[in-house]
Amino acid sequence: MRSTQNVVKAEKQPETGHFSDPPLFVLASLANGPKHGHAMIEDIAHLCGTRLGPGTLYGAITRLEQQGWIEPLPPEERRRPYRITPKGLRALRSKLTTLLQFSKAGLRRLEA
Amino acid sequence: MNPRLARLLMRLYPRAWRERYGEEFEALLLAGRGGLRTSANVVWSALSEHAFPTQGAEMHQSPVTFVAITRQPSAFLPMAMSLIALALVLGNLGSDLIQNGHILREADEGTTAHLWQLLMVGQLPVLAFFAIKWLPRAPGQTLKVLALQAGAVLANLAVVFFSGVG
Repeated sequence: MRSTQNVVKAEKQPETGHFSDPPLFVLASLANGPKHGHAMIEDIAHLCGTRLGPGTLYGAITRLEQQGWIEPLPPEERRRPYRITPKGLRALRSKLTTLLQFSKAGLRRLEA
Repeated sequence: MNPRLARLLMRLYPRAWRERYGEEFEALLLAGRGGLRTSANVVWSALSEHAFPTQGAEMHQSPVTFVAITRQPSAFLPMAMSLIALALVLGNLGSDLIQNGHILREADEGTTAHLWQLLMVGQLPVLAFFAIKWLPRAPGQTLKVLALQAGAVLANLAVVFFSGVG
Protein backbone atom coordinates (compact mmCIF):
# COMPACT_ATOMS: atom_id res chain seq x y z
CA MET A 1 0.00 0.00 0.00
CA ARG A 2 1.32 3.42 -0.89
CA SER A 3 2.05 5.64 2.06
CA THR A 4 0.93 9.24 1.87
CA GLN A 5 3.12 10.34 4.76
CA ASN A 6 5.96 11.64 2.60
CA VAL A 7 3.88 13.06 -0.22
CA VAL A 8 4.69 16.71 -0.59
CA LYS A 9 1.59 18.70 -1.23
CA ALA A 10 1.66 20.99 -4.23
CA GLU A 11 2.14 24.54 -3.10
CA LYS A 12 -1.15 26.30 -3.22
CA GLN A 13 -1.54 29.65 -4.88
CA PRO A 14 -2.48 32.30 -2.33
CA GLU A 15 -6.22 33.00 -2.31
CA THR A 16 -6.71 36.49 -3.65
CA GLY A 17 -10.45 36.27 -4.15
CA HIS A 18 -12.35 37.08 -7.32
CA PHE A 19 -12.44 40.40 -9.08
CA SER A 20 -16.06 40.64 -10.08
CA ASP A 21 -17.63 43.43 -12.06
CA PRO A 22 -20.30 41.77 -14.24
CA PRO A 23 -21.17 44.89 -16.30
CA LEU A 24 -17.48 45.37 -17.13
CA PHE A 25 -17.22 41.69 -18.12
CA VAL A 26 -20.25 42.01 -20.41
CA LEU A 27 -18.88 45.16 -22.05
CA ALA A 28 -15.48 43.52 -22.55
CA SER A 29 -17.11 40.42 -24.00
CA LEU A 30 -19.12 42.47 -26.50
CA ALA A 31 -16.10 44.57 -27.50
CA ASN A 32 -15.17 42.14 -30.28
CA GLY A 33 -18.66 41.62 -31.66
CA PRO A 34 -22.30 40.92 -30.75
CA LYS A 35 -23.10 37.88 -28.62
CA HIS A 36 -26.12 36.26 -26.98
CA GLY A 37 -26.26 35.30 -23.31
CA HIS A 38 -24.76 31.82 -23.47
CA ALA A 39 -21.89 32.97 -25.71
CA MET A 40 -21.20 35.83 -23.27
CA ILE A 41 -20.99 33.44 -20.31
CA GLU A 42 -18.52 31.19 -22.16
CA ASP A 43 -16.49 34.14 -23.44
CA ILE A 44 -16.26 35.75 -19.99
CA ALA A 45 -15.22 32.41 -18.45
CA HIS A 46 -12.49 32.13 -21.11
CA LEU A 47 -11.48 35.79 -20.67
CA CYS A 48 -11.08 35.95 -16.91
CA GLY A 49 -12.02 32.60 -15.38
CA THR A 50 -15.27 33.85 -13.85
CA ARG A 51 -18.42 32.01 -14.85
CA LEU A 52 -21.37 34.35 -14.38
CA GLY A 53 -24.68 32.89 -13.28
CA PRO A 54 -27.61 33.54 -15.65
CA GLY A 55 -29.28 35.84 -13.11
CA THR A 56 -26.12 37.88 -12.64
CA LEU A 57 -25.58 38.10 -16.40
CA TYR A 58 -29.09 39.36 -17.08
CA GLY A 59 -28.88 41.74 -14.11
CA ALA A 60 -25.86 43.30 -15.84
CA ILE A 61 -27.51 43.21 -19.29
CA THR A 62 -30.67 44.99 -18.10
CA ARG A 63 -28.71 47.74 -16.40
CA LEU A 64 -26.29 48.20 -19.30
CA GLU A 65 -29.21 48.40 -21.70
CA GLN A 66 -30.89 50.91 -19.41
CA GLN A 67 -27.71 53.04 -19.49
CA GLY A 68 -27.57 52.79 -23.28
CA TRP A 69 -24.18 51.06 -23.19
CA ILE A 70 -25.42 47.96 -25.03
CA GLU A 71 -28.36 47.40 -27.36
CA PRO A 72 -30.37 44.36 -28.41
CA LEU A 73 -30.28 42.99 -31.95
CA PRO A 74 -33.16 41.11 -33.61
CA PRO A 75 -33.64 37.70 -31.93
CA GLU A 76 -32.21 34.54 -33.46
CA GLU A 77 -34.86 31.93 -32.66
CA ARG A 78 -35.36 32.47 -28.91
CA ARG A 79 -31.88 33.88 -28.24
CA ARG A 80 -31.22 37.58 -28.51
CA PRO A 81 -27.75 38.90 -29.28
CA TYR A 82 -26.53 42.21 -27.89
CA ARG A 83 -23.95 44.65 -29.18
CA ILE A 84 -21.98 47.38 -27.50
CA THR A 85 -22.92 50.96 -28.41
CA PRO A 86 -20.44 53.81 -29.07
CA LYS A 87 -21.34 55.15 -25.60
CA GLY A 88 -20.59 51.70 -24.15
CA LEU A 89 -17.25 51.57 -25.97
CA ARG A 90 -16.27 54.91 -24.45
CA ALA A 91 -17.31 53.70 -20.99
CA LEU A 92 -15.37 50.45 -21.42
CA ARG A 93 -12.26 52.29 -22.60
CA SER A 94 -12.47 54.65 -19.65
CA LYS A 95 -12.96 51.83 -17.11
CA LEU A 96 -10.11 49.73 -18.57
CA THR A 97 -7.79 52.74 -18.65
CA THR A 98 -8.51 53.37 -14.97
CA LEU A 99 -7.87 49.70 -14.18
CA LEU A 100 -4.64 49.77 -16.17
CA GLN A 101 -3.39 52.85 -14.31
CA PHE A 102 -4.37 51.20 -11.03
CA SER A 103 -2.55 47.98 -11.95
CA LYS A 104 0.57 49.84 -13.05
CA ALA A 105 0.65 51.88 -9.85
CA GLY A 106 0.13 48.76 -7.71
CA LEU A 107 2.89 46.83 -9.53
CA ARG A 108 5.30 49.78 -9.20
CA ARG A 109 4.72 49.75 -5.46
CA LEU A 110 5.43 46.03 -5.31
CA GLU A 111 8.70 46.47 -7.22
CA ALA A 112 9.85 49.39 -5.08
CA MET B 1 -31.76 22.68 -17.39
CA ASN B 2 -35.11 21.04 -17.03
CA PRO B 3 -37.69 23.07 -19.06
CA ARG B 4 -40.21 23.10 -16.20
CA LEU B 5 -37.62 24.37 -13.74
CA ALA B 6 -36.45 26.99 -16.26
CA ARG B 7 -40.04 28.21 -16.70
CA LEU B 8 -40.61 28.26 -12.96
CA LEU B 9 -37.42 30.24 -12.31
CA MET B 10 -38.19 32.69 -15.08
CA ARG B 11 -41.63 33.31 -13.55
CA LEU B 12 -40.00 34.52 -10.33
CA TYR B 13 -39.12 37.78 -12.10
CA PRO B 14 -41.56 40.74 -12.20
CA ARG B 15 -44.03 40.77 -15.07
CA ALA B 16 -42.51 43.81 -16.84
CA TRP B 17 -39.08 42.17 -16.77
CA ARG B 18 -40.48 38.87 -18.06
CA GLU B 19 -42.25 40.57 -20.93
CA ARG B 20 -38.98 42.10 -22.09
CA TYR B 21 -36.38 39.46 -21.23
CA GLY B 22 -38.38 36.32 -20.34
CA GLU B 23 -38.10 34.38 -23.58
CA GLU B 24 -34.37 34.90 -24.14
CA PHE B 25 -33.67 34.32 -20.44
CA GLU B 26 -35.57 31.02 -20.48
CA ALA B 27 -33.61 30.02 -23.61
CA LEU B 28 -30.38 30.78 -21.74
CA LEU B 29 -31.48 28.69 -18.76
CA LEU B 30 -32.38 25.79 -21.05
CA ALA B 31 -28.95 25.95 -22.71
CA GLY B 32 -27.16 25.87 -19.35
CA ARG B 33 -26.33 23.00 -17.06
CA GLY B 34 -28.67 24.01 -14.28
CA GLY B 35 -27.96 22.82 -10.77
CA LEU B 36 -28.49 24.23 -7.32
CA ARG B 37 -25.97 27.05 -7.71
CA THR B 38 -27.58 28.30 -10.92
CA SER B 39 -31.05 28.10 -9.39
CA ALA B 40 -29.90 30.02 -6.30
CA ASN B 41 -28.30 32.65 -8.54
CA VAL B 42 -31.57 33.11 -10.48
CA VAL B 43 -33.71 33.22 -7.32
CA TRP B 44 -31.45 35.87 -5.78
CA SER B 45 -31.41 37.93 -8.99
CA ALA B 46 -35.20 37.71 -9.31
CA LEU B 47 -35.61 38.92 -5.71
CA SER B 48 -33.18 41.77 -6.41
CA GLU B 49 -35.21 42.71 -9.48
CA HIS B 50 -38.33 42.86 -7.29
CA ALA B 51 -36.57 45.00 -4.69
CA PHE B 52 -34.68 47.26 -7.11
CA PRO B 53 -36.56 47.02 -10.40
CA THR B 54 -34.89 47.95 -13.66
CA GLN B 55 -36.63 50.81 -15.38
CA GLY B 56 -36.30 52.25 -18.81
CA ALA B 57 -34.82 50.39 -21.78
CA GLU B 58 -37.71 48.70 -23.58
CA MET B 59 -39.56 47.74 -20.44
CA HIS B 60 -43.00 49.30 -20.46
CA GLN B 61 -43.92 49.52 -16.82
CA SER B 62 -47.40 50.77 -16.17
CA PRO B 63 -47.56 53.74 -13.79
CA VAL B 64 -48.45 52.67 -10.26
CA THR B 65 -51.66 54.30 -9.07
CA PHE B 66 -53.01 54.37 -5.51
CA VAL B 67 -55.89 52.05 -6.47
CA ALA B 68 -53.51 49.62 -8.20
CA ILE B 69 -51.21 49.50 -5.21
CA THR B 70 -54.05 48.89 -2.73
CA ARG B 71 -55.05 45.85 -4.80
CA GLN B 72 -51.74 44.19 -3.94
CA PRO B 73 -52.28 41.39 -1.39
CA SER B 74 -49.45 42.77 0.75
CA ALA B 75 -51.32 46.11 0.88
CA PHE B 76 -54.84 44.97 1.70
CA LEU B 77 -54.00 41.98 3.92
CA PRO B 78 -52.60 44.04 6.85
CA MET B 79 -55.53 46.44 6.52
CA ALA B 80 -57.99 43.53 6.55
CA MET B 81 -56.23 42.01 9.57
CA SER B 82 -56.45 45.31 11.45
CA LEU B 83 -60.16 45.68 10.61
CA ILE B 84 -60.90 42.10 11.69
CA ALA B 85 -58.99 42.74 14.94
CA LEU B 86 -60.98 45.94 15.50
CA ALA B 87 -64.27 44.14 14.77
CA LEU B 88 -63.31 41.42 17.27
CA VAL B 89 -62.64 43.93 20.05
CA LEU B 90 -65.74 46.00 19.31
CA GLY B 91 -67.87 42.84 19.06
CA ASN B 92 -66.55 41.65 22.38
CA LEU B 93 -67.19 45.02 24.03
CA GLY B 94 -70.70 45.18 22.53
CA SER B 95 -71.63 41.71 23.75
CA ASP B 96 -70.35 42.55 27.25
CA LEU B 97 -72.41 45.74 27.32
CA ILE B 98 -75.58 43.97 26.13
CA GLN B 99 -75.25 41.00 28.49
CA ASN B 100 -73.89 42.72 31.62
CA GLY B 101 -74.50 46.43 31.14
CA HIS B 102 -70.80 47.12 31.55
CA ILE B 103 -67.43 45.98 30.14
CA LEU B 104 -65.99 42.92 31.85
CA ARG B 105 -62.28 42.61 32.48
CA GLU B 106 -61.36 38.95 32.11
CA ALA B 107 -58.81 37.55 34.56
CA ASP B 108 -57.29 35.53 31.73
CA GLU B 109 -56.65 37.36 28.46
CA GLY B 110 -59.26 35.19 26.72
CA THR B 111 -59.64 33.94 23.15
CA THR B 112 -60.56 37.33 21.71
CA ALA B 113 -57.45 38.95 23.15
CA HIS B 114 -55.23 36.15 21.80
CA LEU B 115 -56.80 36.41 18.35
CA TRP B 116 -56.37 40.19 18.44
CA GLN B 117 -52.68 39.84 19.35
CA LEU B 118 -52.10 37.27 16.59
CA LEU B 119 -53.76 39.50 14.00
CA MET B 120 -51.80 42.57 15.07
CA VAL B 121 -48.41 40.82 15.21
CA GLY B 122 -49.09 38.66 12.14
CA GLN B 123 -49.51 41.69 9.90
CA LEU B 124 -46.04 43.07 10.70
CA PRO B 125 -44.05 40.82 8.31
CA VAL B 126 -46.61 41.49 5.55
CA LEU B 127 -46.29 45.22 6.19
CA ALA B 128 -42.49 44.97 6.05
CA PHE B 129 -42.68 43.04 2.77
CA PHE B 130 -45.05 45.63 1.32
CA ALA B 131 -42.78 48.53 2.33
CA ILE B 132 -39.61 46.86 1.00
CA LYS B 133 -41.24 45.94 -2.28
CA TRP B 134 -43.17 49.11 -3.06
CA LEU B 135 -41.29 52.03 -1.47
CA PRO B 136 -38.53 52.04 -4.13
CA ARG B 137 -41.09 51.83 -6.97
CA ALA B 138 -43.81 54.23 -5.90
CA PRO B 139 -42.79 56.05 -2.71
CA GLY B 140 -45.72 58.51 -2.65
CA GLN B 141 -48.48 55.93 -3.13
CA THR B 142 -46.80 53.45 -0.79
CA LEU B 143 -46.53 56.04 1.99
CA LYS B 144 -50.25 56.79 1.63
CA VAL B 145 -51.09 53.10 2.03
CA LEU B 146 -48.70 52.79 4.97
CA ALA B 147 -50.36 55.83 6.60
CA LEU B 148 -53.75 54.14 6.22
CA GLN B 149 -52.37 50.94 7.72
CA ALA B 150 -50.83 52.90 10.60
CA GLY B 151 -54.22 54.57 11.16
CA ALA B 152 -55.92 51.18 11.37
CA VAL B 153 -53.33 49.96 13.89
CA LEU B 154 -53.71 53.13 15.99
CA ALA B 155 -57.52 52.76 15.95
CA ASN B 156 -57.11 49.25 17.35
CA LEU B 157 -54.70 50.38 20.04
CA ALA B 158 -56.95 53.31 20.97
CA VAL B 159 -60.03 51.09 21.40
CA VAL B 160 -58.09 48.59 23.51
CA PHE B 161 -56.49 51.34 25.59
CA PHE B 162 -59.61 53.39 26.28
CA SER B 163 -61.89 50.43 26.91
CA GLY B 164 -59.37 49.02 29.37
CA VAL B 165 -59.61 45.47 28.02
CA GLY B 166 -55.98 45.24 26.92
